[in-house]
Amino acid sequence: MTTICVGVSHRQAPVAVRERLAVPADKLPERLRQLRQLPGVREALIISTCNRLEIFAAADSPKIATEIQQTLDPAAAPLAACRFDEDALRHLFRVASSLESMVLGEAQILGQVKEAAARSQSAGTLGPELRRAIARASSTAKRVRTETEIARGAVSLSSVAVDLAHKLLGELAGSSVLLLGAGEMAQLAARELRAQGAKELLVANRSLARAEELAHEVDGEPVSLAELPVLLERADVIVCSTGSEQYLITREMVARAVKTRRYRPLFLVDLSLPRNVEPSANELENVYVYDLDDLERVAAKNRDLRQSQIGKAEEIVEEELRAFLARARERKSVPVLARLRAHADAVARAETERTLAALRDLDDRQQKSVRAMATAIVNKLLHAPTARLRAEAGRGPLADAATELFGLDEHPEPRQAEAAVLSMASNG
Amino acid sequence: METVLVHIALIAYAAGTGAFLTWLVRPGPRWAKAGRWLLLAGVVVHFASFAAGAGVAGLGLGAGSWKGGQLFSLLAALTVAGYLLLDWRGGVPIAGVFVAPLTVAVMVPAHLVGSSEHEVAPQLWNSGTLFFHVATSALGTSALALAFGLSALYLASERQAKSRRPGRIFARLTSLESIDRTGYRLAVWGFVFLSIAIGTGSLVSNASTGSPLPVAPKQAFAVLAWALLASMIEARLVAGWRGRRIALLVVVGFVLLAGAYAGLLSASPAMRGALALGVWP
Repeated sequence: MTTICVGVSHRQAPVAVRERLAVPADKLPERLRQLRQLPGVREALIISTCNRLEIFAAADSPKIATEIQQTLDPAAAPLAACRFDEDALRHLFRVASSLESMVLGEAQILGQVKEAAARSQSAGTLGPELRRAIARASSTAKRVRTETEIARGAVSLSSVAVDLAHKLLGELAGSSVLLLGAGEMAQLAARELRAQGAKELLVANRSLARAEELAHEVDGEPVSLAELPVLLERADVIVCSTGSEQYLITREMVARAVKTRRYRPLFLVDLSLPRNVEPSANELENVYVYDLDDLERVAAKNRDLRQSQIGKAEEIVEEELRAFLARARERKSVPVLARLRAHADAVARAETERTLAALRDLDDRQQKSVRAMATAIVNKLLHAPTARLRAEAGRGPLADAATELFGLDEHPEPRQAEAAVLSMASNG
Repeated sequence: METVLVHIALIAYAAGTGAFLTWLVRPGPRWAKAGRWLLLAGVVVHFASFAAGAGVAGLGLGAGSWKGGQLFSLLAALTVAGYLLLDWRGGVPIAGVFVAPLTVAVMVPAHLVGSSEHEVAPQLWNSGTLFFHVATSALGTSALALAFGLSALYLASERQAKSRRPGRIFARLTSLESIDRTGYRLAVWGFVFLSIAIGTGSLVSNASTGSPLPVAPKQAFAVLAWALLASMIEARLVAGWRGRRIALLVVVGFVLLAGAYAGLLSASPAMRGALALGVWP
């Protein structure tokens, strides 16, 4: 069995190509079934996000990768990267851990990988090989997130502004946000703040009509720019992005507001060029002014921090990959039949011993009979499955089904199976 | 037995300090978690040492003498317990970076270096007022020690936020607003306990020396700390002060209170002999 990955991501293809590759959720089951119907494909999984399309398959031969590649859009097919076995698994682990993401350390990708697995499961194209790989990729991604700082700190300007608002003001529920101007980034930040629970989103603009229009777009309340001194007393976060060539908010205005606000913290995010907030207002007590450069500095620092964690994250990925491959080798080295037999014998032995321990009065002959009965039950129960697995040489779908049904993956070696069953018996 | 338990607690506190300091330079929840558990283990063993040892006598009831070490040991245990409660409710592991080393710094001289024994006036040997005085002094001091720690963190973090180059402390801390609120609440509790301690201390002083208002460095520092904290609370309630100003006042208030303890230990032997524990007598 070969693990194949055929993928196109932001690294290989521009957005114009990627947008032609994206598979909408409603078309995914059909696409998965088409892949599964390719000769030699045993399992299939598709991860489709705005930055990548990755097709993972468990197949009989690596040659099938070419056929999978041909199912892609003609413009994308030549750009697709084909990876096999260890490389394919490494790629899956790296994708889930966000090491292949456009924004390093982003949190969404792990959810997208899990969702892809769930969709593949419902379409009936996810089998034991890919299921194991996805499970290990998920636990690897969690390790990477908790043991490194790869996901720490926001890296986009609007997220940095929202993070800072949280750090300065605490819970944003009940706070008031004032959006000054119509800049796109400011709208984005204001929307995020609103989504974080801000009580009200006030929208001010030079023209009241434009303010009303904007307020409608961002689900806010239009206010007049003439009310600015009063709004400084009311708002907790002010996001500015206007085309004004002079300061709209001066130090003097803020200084007056500080006392009326009873020193309640005020966070001013100035996304305008030229700036709309007099920088020296930052010197006032409980007033924090951040302009574009300040936000970019924080974002760059977070990006650097994330970059510095790549080595550590890659070490975790390699460590997990090595463990996963070692486990897979163990599974291959012990045939399913042997594992099934060992598992059944271990269960029978453990249960027999427990029964004998409860029936203390049995003599040797009686004990021997009980043991013989247990062995006979095991033999009779396993007779038909053994014959069928032998007919399939222990490597077909029945072997996978037996592995899955009896949980043989958990104890790949007969010795381990026995130990585990004995331990279960002694505990319970 | 008591000494062994205290030493075990001290080792746990020291290990907790190591975990918290490691967490500061090598982020990862497991270091903060380890620090928390070590402090918890330390404080449990520490309280067990009070129970195993003189216990009640150490707090004043039935005690004929006391050691500076006992007092600081009690303060350390209460501060750690207060921190753990705070962290459990508000999730401020960064405060552990301050509390854990402070605890070790207080405990090491208190227990390893040893301290001389001071006589308690015989008329106070079974005094409930003295017990109440010592208990409220210790609780107030612990609350103010935590408020001091949070205020110091607030000042450091606020400085980073103002410089518009947020650093590690800013990143690790919860919001400035929440530190300000929690620090203020602790300072208010500290003030309440301190007020009771000063009141009961007056009674204890009157019983032991005949004077409810003895003039000594310790009393002067305690009253100054109390007055400063009272002004701080008034400024917050009336003028709405918050943030940096409040944090500075709390820091100064705690330093003054520390002066009261320094006054307690440096008082003349005759004075100490006549007096007991706490911040007032």
